[in-house]
Amino acid sequence: MSATTIHLRQILFLLCALCGLSGCGQVEPVRNAKQLHAVEYGQRALRAFQLGNYETAENLYQQALRRDVEIENIDGIAVNTLNLARVNRILGRTARAHAYLDALLQDDALQYAPVYLATAATEKAALYLQANDLAAAESWLGKAEASCGDDCPLHGVIANVRSAIVLGTGDAVSSLAWGERAAAVNRNTSRMEYANSLRLLAAANLSLGQFENARSQLNEALDLDKSLGLPLKIREDLLLLARLHDALGQPQQAKRYQERAARLSSAP
Amino acid sequence: MKPNQFNQGLQHIEQRTRRFMLGAAAVLLLALLLIAVKQDYLVRSTTIYFFANNAQGLSRGMAVKFIGFKVGSVKSVSMEPNATVRVRVSLDDEYLHLIGQDAKARLIKEALVGESVVEIIPGTQPVQAVKENSVLVFERGQDAATLAESLALQLEPILNDIREITGSIKNPEGDLQRTLKNLNQASGDMQVMVKQFTRLAVSGNQTLDSTSGKLNRALDSVNANLQVLDSTLPGLLQKADSSLDNVQAATADIKLMTTESAGELPVFIHNTNALVQDGQDMLDGAKRTWPFRNFFPKAEPELLPVDGYVTPTKP
Repeated sequence: MSATTIHLRQILFLLCALCGLSGCGQVEPVRNAKQLHAVEYGQRALRAFQLGNYETAENLYQQALRRDVEIENIDGIAVNTLNLARVNRILGRTARAHAYLDALLQDDALQYAPVYLATAATEKAALYLQANDLAAAESWLGKAEASCGDDCPLHGVIANVRSAIVLGTGDAVSSLAWGERAAAVNRNTSRMEYANSLRLLAAANLSLGQFENARSQLNEALDLDKSLGLPLKIREDLLLLARLHDALGQPQQAKRYQERAARLSSAP
Repeated sequence: MKPNQFNQGLQHIEQRTRRFMLGAAAVLLLALLLIAVKQDYLVRSTTIYFFANNAQGLSRGMAVKFIGFKVGSVKSVSMEPNATVRVRVSLDDEYLHLIGQDAKARLIKEALVGESVVEIIPGTQPVQAVKENSVLVFERGQDAATLAESLALQLEPILNDIREITGSIKNPEGDLQRTLKNLNQASGDMQVMVKQFTRLAVSGNQTLDSTSGKLNRALDSVNANLQVLDSTLPGLLQKADSSLDNVQAATADIKLMTTESAGELPVFIHNTNALVQDGQDMLDGAKRTWPFRNFFPKAEPELLPVDGYVTPTKP
């Protein structure tokens, strides 16, 4: 009886091991050449974007989008269109960024996943916020929230944008509340967005005269941005630190931070 | 068992044994026949010889070719008492009438990196065909290394010539330098003379005679220098001519090498392309397979992270 049990156990173990190994040995589905080409362009564009070569990134994303359109790869079309909008926002070409986003949001022929539509709406809100059109920004943020389901990965981003919008209206208290909510969501999900939340919290605290909170938040944000290698954000942190020291009546320190920020602006 | 039945049984066994033995003998004969065919024992052949200085590149069994066709093989390579190498070659009688007594045996490589073969270079007297125990003249064909060596040997005198010419030009005691010095000096004299002439023009014609003398001397000096130059130039030109001849010969060799390898190159490039493509396919396959696929970025479009921070603008 005992021997039979051992024998059965051995067979079961072998079967499980075989199933496990077959799972490990599974080969990813083969993609066609155009699809692989599009992905390759996308990966090269991502590397260019990470290095701050935004013009190159734009060209490469356009190539990727062309390939995806040729084979009607809906996910690829959505991703590359959003990436192009993002690159153009950084380059300050807001009209072109809007055009890309509108092409996605007004496309009735293709059914895009809700997360892409929510992302596009968030980008629109950010563009309007950048243009200081707070009402339009708020409107698009509402659309983003509506498209975003419960398990949407954009909650932290949306909270950050809302914090910035209310700060723009002069409501530092609400901004602080939204910033804290955003920081709680982003702390464990995205370091970049968490640094954004800290920066917004610091700005709100500065407006409210809570300088010590602002200082610690800015220092933390600065460390994070340095570790992520984001020059524009580092510059923002330094400028806010300069404002903080101005408010504290320390003009020498403020001047030093401004000098550091200026060096980043003129860096090659 | 009855005696009759026993005898019948014995006969049966005897018959079977006989059949088995006959079968085995037949198989043995067949094997021997195949060996004989393989070893060309059934082909009528003629043995000829050639002698080489050394046995490098020569080996038993090596193919012997005539205008690209195999006409025999090397049967043995042995050393003679006088330290030369005797090579015994067996030629098919079928082709014997095509190979003259004055034909040559040349050791060549079939390609840049191919096998070595003995090539029979047809003689000029095909009516007197080789016969048993004929001896052919042997020579070694040029392989890539030999060509490179001969190229180096031909380039050496060119370099020496160039070095010599450069040395002669640079040598302060050389003809050319001396001529230049003299010319320089003459030019200095001329300058002085012109100055004096100017002074003379101002002060009158008092020293005209002496200047005229100097002018004559200077012109003589220039003339002498030009003569030196005239005698030096032909030598230099001759050297340059021989250098150019050597360069031409070297170029011809390089062209020959290139032509010889031209047929091989496209095939080589084609094979290399196929190899690279295979490698790429294998790499692509590996990239999609566990565990390697974890080391590479996923082949999916990647969305840039949405940035929720907008640089504040002053209204």
